[in-house]
Amino acid sequence: MRFRDACRLAIAAWAIAALPAPAASPAEVKAEIEARLRSQLPELEPGDYALGPAAFDPELRALADANGDGAKAVVARGAALWRRRFRDGRSLASCFPNGGRRVAVAYPQYHPHLKRVFTLEMAVNQCLKAHKEPLLDNADPATMGAITAYVRSLSDGYRIHVRVPMAAERFFEQGRRMYFARMGQRNFACASCHLQGAGKRYAGAPLAPAIGQAARWPYIRAGEAVTLQAQIRECLERMGAAPFPAGSEELNDLEYFLTYLSNGLKLRANAWRGP
Amino acid sequence: MRGALLAAIACAAVLPAAAQPPSGAELFARPDKGHCLACHQVPAGAGPSNRSDLGPRLEGARMRALGREALRRILFDPTAANPDTVMPPYGRHRILDSAEIDRIVEYLYALP
Repeated sequence: MRFRDACRLAIAAWAIAALPAPAASPAEVKAEIEARLRSQLPELEPGDYALGPAAFDPELRALADANGDGAKAVVARGAALWRRRFRDGRSLASCFPNGGRRVAVAYPQYHPHLKRVFTLEMAVNQCLKAHKEPLLDNADPATMGAITAYVRSLSDGYRIHVRVPMAAERFFEQGRRMYFARMGQRNFACASCHLQGAGKRYAGAPLAPAIGQAARWPYIRAGEAVTLQAQIRECLERMGAAPFPAGSEELNDLEYFLTYLSNGLKLRANAWRGP
Repeated sequence: MRGALLAAIACAAVLPAAAQPPSGAELFARPDKGHCLACHQVPAGAGPSNRSDLGPRLEGARMRALGREALRRILFDPTAANPDTVMPPYGRHRILDSAEIDRIVEYLYALP
């Protein structure tokens, strides 16, 4: 081996050694969080993660069960919007396979052509755009909230199965970083409460564990659907941080990360959470 | 003239109350200030009862064992001693000024 080749080899070896360690794969991240929560909350059955705060409070659980019909009006409003005929005679239902049945469990999903993460709300707006209908505001509970309440009710009881292909791992990683980043004047991270403090009480209410957070949205509060991103925006305000807009890349990545964590859990849409 | 006099009397009656800074107990509870009750419980009679347990229960004996200076340091920036703590850095992030921190310290020090 000539001296020049040896130098090249040495430089290559140094460059490889200097590379940052690759981020853990989504499956490894999920397994680590599952193991941590299992050791923190050994009494919690795997299926109960989808119950959220109600898993830790029999009173909350009983109240939610007693108000099982609390979502009826919202879901009916969403169903009407879902079936409404566009000017071209089509409808939102015609944009999705099986009229929307069992589709919500696979969202958010990576769009390989657009190279971005697509949430259910984005898919709804994409359908409206394709049919030259006015787009909906992702943060409006009366329209988009009601539609997600209905579409997700069509997946009720089916297991969440969000895929993170290799090309989408950086979006998952961005969502993970966001979840663990301390933000706002109060210096909280999402993980401060929902991982470190999972099962404990903040302001009197039990804190839902990270796994399961994405399995039970929207929930119904004061007769309106509260989506996962709406809930995250409320949390950010409580943390003293300016909330990212609904549908922003930051919240979409966070939703992608959180939903992957809930893979395998049964989707439970439209639980009642107070008058 | 009589109206002006009445207004002055009314102001004098209202101003001292309005200028009164919030007490340590109020700062401890207020959501825009300490909001300590969101995470901690205090002994019965020392504040509203709650079920929060994200942070430890606060007992007077423990507070007095820590001492005022340590309590002040914890309230100013608890992450300095424990980077993993969930507790907000009240002084460092200017949620509370030093006089407000002092009033909360006195409240904690006097807990039963």
